[in-house]
Amino acid sequence: MKHANQKLSSFYAWLLAIPALVLIGLIVVFPIFYTGYISLTNMNIFNWFTFRIVGFRNYFNALFLFDSGFLTALFVTVLWTVLNMIFQLVIAFTMASLLNIEKLKYRKVYKTLLMFPWAMPGYVSILLWKNGMFNSQFGLLNQWLERLGLEPVRWLANDVSAFVSSMVVNLWLALPFMIMIIDGALQSIDRSYYESALIEGASWLKRSISLTIPAIKPIIGPAVIITIFTTFKQFDVIYLLTQQVGSKTGARIHTVLTYAYENAFVTNNYGYSSAISMIIFALLLGFSLSARYLSKGENE
Amino acid sequence: MKRIITIITIFIIMLLPVGCGGSGSESDEANRAVKLTIWHDKEEGVAAALKEELDKLKPEIEVNLERKSGLTEALKLVGNDPKAAPDMYFFAHDKLGVYSEMGILTPITEFISEDELLNFLPMTISAATYRGEIYQLPIYFETLLFMYNRALMKDEQVPKTTEELYQFMQSGAGGRFGFIEQHSTAYYSAGWIHGFGGGIIDLDGTALLDNEETIRALGYRKKFVEMMPGETEYATVTVLFIEGRAASTIGGPWLVPTIRQSGVDLGFAKMPVVSETGLPIAPFSGIQGLHVLKVAADNPVKNGAIKEVLTLLLNPDIGVAMAKASGCAPAHLLSYEQDEIKNDELVMMMREMAESAVPMPNIPEMDVMWVVLDNLLVDINMRGVDVVEACFEAQKRAENLIRAMR
Repeated sequence: MKHANQKLSSFYAWLLAIPALVLIGLIVVFPIFYTGYISLTNMNIFNWFTFRIVGFRNYFNALFLFDSGFLTALFVTVLWTVLNMIFQLVIAFTMASLLNIEKLKYRKVYKTLLMFPWAMPGYVSILLWKNGMFNSQFGLLNQWLERLGLEPVRWLANDVSAFVSSMVVNLWLALPFMIMIIDGALQSIDRSYYESALIEGASWLKRSISLTIPAIKPIIGPAVIITIFTTFKQFDVIYLLTQQVGSKTGARIHTVLTYAYENAFVTNNYGYSSAISMIIFALLLGFSLSARYLSKGENE
Repeated sequence: MKRIITIITIFIIMLLPVGCGGSGSESDEANRAVKLTIWHDKEEGVAAALKEELDKLKPEIEVNLERKSGLTEALKLVGNDPKAAPDMYFFAHDKLGVYSEMGILTPITEFISEDELLNFLPMTISAATYRGEIYQLPIYFETLLFMYNRALMKDEQVPKTTEELYQFMQSGAGGRFGFIEQHSTAYYSAGWIHGFGGGIIDLDGTALLDNEETIRALGYRKKFVEMMPGETEYATVTVLFIEGRAASTIGGPWLVPTIRQSGVDLGFAKMPVVSETGLPIAPFSGIQGLHVLKVAADNPVKNGAIKEVLTLLLNPDIGVAMAKASGCAPAHLLSYEQDEIKNDELVMMMREMAESAVPMPNIPEMDVMWVVLDNLLVDINMRGVDVVEACFEAQKRAENLIRAMR
């Protein structure tokens, strides 16, 4: 009887989940399968409505894209992800800790201000940074430099400074999310632990390393993994700041996605572009599975 | 309560025929009218001018203008779907090769004869032609112009040749920058390449980035680029010019209202002639006009209405109205006989430019050339890569992408 009840309750749970599953299926799963299907066809503007299956020909052609340029882009993407994550976590942790100082005045005002970049459309923010801050003729940064009697700098013109500038913009856009998550996690820690630590004379650093970080790790873990993937497949920040057609700045930094865009997606060959998308998807999947495997191992 | 509901129901039922009957004839006419939909991406003024003209076809034909963001991609997705596709679209000519290859366009000569197009500027008709068929009814066009700030460059100082321009830049007479343009953008650089007799891509889809003329053009232009700011995207060029920090520029008519509003005493001049070749800088031009979708042309009900629309727009008056609304130049030659066009310095300068301007290639392969040429210009102008090496490398990239396209 108990078994039958359990079965019924499980069936009921699945029944309730069906609408969400259908939605996820339509929005997430179907496009992946459809892209996989298109990648096996010769769909391009010359065979737009009359495309046919051509097997793995597009995958074979796509392999030519994975040249030294792609490997450099892959390296840049990994570097971009690692550096962004390190800075994001450190800055967000510091900011969230400051927000949690006891008896802090105007806490809500600070929180609202810190959330502001999140409320702005990414496209607008990026272009504001490009023209308002980094522009060599009118940008705020160069105006400050000029006031100090220094030569103006073309922030987005060479690879290193463009990479750093892109990172600054990405951090500006991404920090609100991470601060919010860490702030929430910090508030969930029982205050009595801190009281005990203080009685035992633990410093802020000691409390952070031995108490705060282990306590918030399981809470912020999923957010960190999500952010890693968002950062890995970042397109708009680097593209709009440095690579946008008609307003390129001179830097030649590419992530895998901007590289694929310039070398495949502009061709209007959907079969070929889909094959490249599937390969990048496989790369991300591998990355995701290994991240999961590693985090599981750590938890065990 | 029941009685009240019954009374209200009867009252509503009684009102229904009155409501419909009140506008019976209008409604019948509206039902009889052939309804056409035109997608466009134009500003309100242009759309209003077009709508005003098309409303002359009422009540027999009712044309609905629908502003569509992402028009080009939307057409790719639904261009052959009679339920979702528009009947016509109003857009620049440069995508018609793509849509023609996709099989979603019908030549306009199925509705109007080629003779009726004799009064159009030859440049606009050649732009509308793809593989021997005319796919667009040209309405107006835009191209780049040489503009100068009279406060910084006197009329007699306007350079006739590129060497004169260079000397002016060197002299420092024009303030901080004697001349600026979007030097590392394909659209703006094409004029210099054409001025050397070179090109970007030919009609067969063969990239021309490694030909001698293109290499010479990009090499020659470098000395001008060195005297311009490093960043020269649209916003920077516009602000430098309207703030009086640059004496002259090459820009499109879309820039003119902003410049005039800023109080700059704006002058227009012919493009300087390239001193080394004797040819003028010949920029790209974009021709805006009406295209007919195949799904609509195949519909016997709509077929006649489409013919009416195209015939109506053969009238030179629409060119005038649209030119006034857009600040661009009419495609119809007879429009230039009207005083309001004759007296418009900007439009007449564009008319003059039509003699040398080169329509953007309308072949599908051009889609990849924008990116390749932009990168080539960045390599040469901003990254200091050797011109010949950069051109050969870009040619290889273009060939690979064109191959991938097919």
